[in-house]
Amino acid sequence: MLYPIRHQLAAPLVALLLACLYQPLLADTRTIPTAYGDVTVEGQPESIVTLYEGALDSAIAVGAQPVGAIITRGGQSVASYIEEAAGVIEIVGAPGETNLEAVIALQPDLILAAARTSEEQYQLLSRIAPTVVLAVTPYQHDTWKRELALFARALGREDRARDVIERVEQRAAEVRRQVETVIPEDQRDTALVRWMPQGPLVMAEGLFSATVLASAGFEVDDAGLVSEGRPHSQPLSQENLSLMDRNWIFLATLNEDGREALEAARQAPAFKRLVANESGRILPVDGTLWTSASGPLAALAILDEIEAALK
Amino acid sequence: MAATLFRSTLASCAFAPPLSVAVFFVVVTAVASLLWGAGPVSAADALPVLFGQGSEEARFVVTELRLPRLVTGIVTGLSLAIAGALLQALTRNPLAEPGLLGVSGGSAFAVAVAILLGASSATMTTLVSQTGALAGCSLVMLATRSRGLAADPVRLVLAGATVTGLLLSLTSVLMLADQRAADEIRFWITGSIAGTPLSHLRAVLPSLVVAGILVVIVASPLAALSLGERTAMGLGHRPGRIRVLVIVAVALLVGAATALAGPLVFVGLVVPYIARAAAGPDIRKTLWLCLPIGPALLLLADTLARVIAAPSELPLGVITALIGAPVLLIIVRSGRMPTL
Amino acid sequence: MKTFAMTRQRNLYANLALTLALVIAATASLALGTVAIPPGAIIDVLAGGGDTIHQFVIRELRLPRVLAGVLTGAAFALAGCMMQTIARNRLATPGIIGIDNAATAFAVASVVGAGLSIAPSAMALSGAAAATALAFGLAGANGTRGYRFIIAGLGIGAIAGAITQVMLSRVAIDAANAAFPWTVGSLNARSQDAVQILAIGLVIGYGLAIALGPALKTLQFSDPVAINLGTRLKRIRTLSLACAVLLTGLAVSVAGPVGMVALLAPELARALSRPGKVPLTASALAGAAFMVTADLAGRLVLSPLELPVGLVTAIAGSPYLIWILVKPSSRSLS
Repeated sequence: MLYPIRHQLAAPLVALLLACLYQPLLADTRTIPTAYGDVTVEGQPESIVTLYEGALDSAIAVGAQPVGAIITRGGQSVASYIEEAAGVIEIVGAPGETNLEAVIALQPDLILAAARTSEEQYQLLSRIAPTVVLAVTPYQHDTWKRELALFARALGREDRARDVIERVEQRAAEVRRQVETVIPEDQRDTALVRWMPQGPLVMAEGLFSATVLASAGFEVDDAGLVSEGRPHSQPLSQENLSLMDRNWIFLATLNEDGREALEAARQAPAFKRLVANESGRILPVDGTLWTSASGPLAALAILDEIEAALK
Repeated sequence: MAATLFRSTLASCAFAPPLSVAVFFVVVTAVASLLWGAGPVSAADALPVLFGQGSEEARFVVTELRLPRLVTGIVTGLSLAIAGALLQALTRNPLAEPGLLGVSGGSAFAVAVAILLGASSATMTTLVSQTGALAGCSLVMLATRSRGLAADPVRLVLAGATVTGLLLSLTSVLMLADQRAADEIRFWITGSIAGTPLSHLRAVLPSLVVAGILVVIVASPLAALSLGERTAMGLGHRPGRIRVLVIVAVALLVGAATALAGPLVFVGLVVPYIARAAAGPDIRKTLWLCLPIGPALLLLADTLARVIAAPSELPLGVITALIGAPVLLIIVRSGRMPTL
Repeated sequence: MKTFAMTRQRNLYANLALTLALVIAATASLALGTVAIPPGAIIDVLAGGGDTIHQFVIRELRLPRVLAGVLTGAAFALAGCMMQTIARNRLATPGIIGIDNAATAFAVASVVGAGLSIAPSAMALSGAAAATALAFGLAGANGTRGYRFIIAGLGIGAIAGAITQVMLSRVAIDAANAAFPWTVGSLNARSQDAVQILAIGLVIGYGLAIALGPALKTLQFSDPVAINLGTRLKRIRTLSLACAVLLTGLAVSVAGPVGMVALLAPELARALSRPGKVPLTASALAGAAFMVTADLAGRLVLSPLELPVGLVTAIAGSPYLIWILVKPSSRSLS
């Protein structure tokens, strides 16, 4: 019966010892590997500015509330799927054009920036606050998860990141089950395209929304039209529309009104011949969400749209 | 009736050889544009379609995709060629080309405004485009008349280039103001006849008919005007009225072409240049020759645009610029500049 | 003798007035922006004090940008003034005859083509030089004089513009959108290296321009008169052209094509200065002031978003430009 007594004594002792040894860790100082070397962040940052849509999404998903963000491509503010969750947020520029003075005015203690931030820009940003420019390989199936993990680490909310990823995976599995019951196995081939007046852009199968589609049981295939490391193909000639002829086509539009874009596309004679058009399986989707956004909240929003499309 | 008129014109002008060569070329380029494309339907697949046979896929590509494009190309090519010839005769400047002088620029700017405001109907676009072309044309003519630019071909072109640059900047401002419209405008501003719906073609036809009538009316007076203002007045023409009619015709033609294909530069320069080289300076002969040469050039450029970068396409405007700029240089080198 | 003294004085006053305008524009650029800084604090910071945020905003953000604006504005305007003089045509600026376009095409190529690691400065400069050499060669015996050179330049500019378009249509749409501000002229994302190279280039270019000044003045007369006055025409033209190419190429590498400055700043300088003079210094000052003011306006109008400076100059300059094109009579350069 010695064991319980020893245990009672040992626990606080060990804790005390650990506290002494790892004092800096308990004050929560973390090192994040970035494109421009390791960045050290202390505590849980309060005032966060995100200069990348994926960072805004990840930050909100793990419970942080950024004070500044850039507009989404083609919009006047943040993407509409995240507008409510973002709440009152200052706009500090457009993708690729940050207004540094607006960032300074917010007095951030952490900046989460896009992967393509130049070194010169990084030097300036890092003098305003610790700046995280991730060096994560883009257009992979788990890019968003690795980004989320690192952003969450910078935000001091690493534990939340695991929960969030689990939630997204569960939801994907749920939608996947529905897809598998509704659609026969040989009819799950899908293309994700953006419609331009001269023809379609085929989006890369590694693009964020395409990986979400894949996780929901669709077989996304860019037919090798997209070169490595690119988000999408060049606009295809209408004569080559058959290259994207699939049972399902998700038509991401440049603006939020997808139906209008679908009508425009349907005017093209070649479009009418697509299998998916004849069976009514061309689904117009919000381009700001499907081709510009990334992150766990975007994944959930996309999964919701997929689920709705099945009905 | 029309055929006899045509034949008598041919006989009286005595330039049947160049005209028949030009017609031969337009037929060749038209067939080529039906046979070659960016897609998997090859010339060998497409050829049987011309004789009413061929696979279903090939028939679709040839009749539904390449044929409408062919028609659009013909209309655009001849509109720009005629407009160029008219403008050159009017300003007596071989470099007076709608694209260089800011007429296309005005038209493009107007359409960009319309796209930004959400206009989508073809009729609306045509009207807006023609209004813009008229404004651009008037500005150029105003500059010509008030500063004696007509006497100096280079100054006219410089003035036009300046106006064009200005309009392009303003169009860029619109693109920044609304990035949603930006992709649409950026596509359109490079010029292309891919996927132009036939409804657009129907929308421009009435104004092209009007322009055609105007051209028939002004052709002879314009030829007289080239002998000098006094001679023309002596022959009973009114120079002021002729100028107004020519400007209206040019605006209608350029506006229609721009509404169909976006601002295409140099077509209106190259085609009349070739026509004059073949048939001499008489504006009536030039106009006749422009009818086949314009479409031939445009179809050639469009076929190249499809084949070079398959499976995607190059913007047509880029090809016409690459073809046209060297011709501009040749005209300059030839030293025959101020002879119109 | 008295009139000579008076006109000398007029030039002095013109330069003083333009310098004053430049100082006002620069001060306003340092003071205004999303972070408001009172004038007193600017002096503190420039003297080495002030609070850290003000120090950062002024020293790291606004001052480099104002400097880039001053240098590019002066370079574009100086190049424009020289070009107008040797071509004897006030519309014949580097932007119109295709030098800007060619420099942009080369610089975009170095940004788009991953394989090319040559700095944009070198690329833009070689683009400008190549276009000019080509135009010069194509113009044949009569060199920069007359229409051939200008028209050849126009044609080359059109080709360069088309090539830039092809390159931009080959890259991802988002990358094209990101490159867009620079292709119309912007001071937001300038490279500090390019600014330093431009500074050196401007010193050389300005020195050369001043040295050529008296000869340029005689170029305004007809060739026989100029030759009688002892001007070695060919050499003067070639040197001036080289100078304009150097200045334009380097300025494009910093800010992209901002052609309107080259057109309007010399106009303003000519209006203020003594008739018959080639207002080199006044043009440079006017260009710098115009550029800095336009950039300030571009930063403030849509704040927190920015309007690229190239578009501001185009909008601001257009009414004046249209007026010179259509007004009944004018002091002609030719």
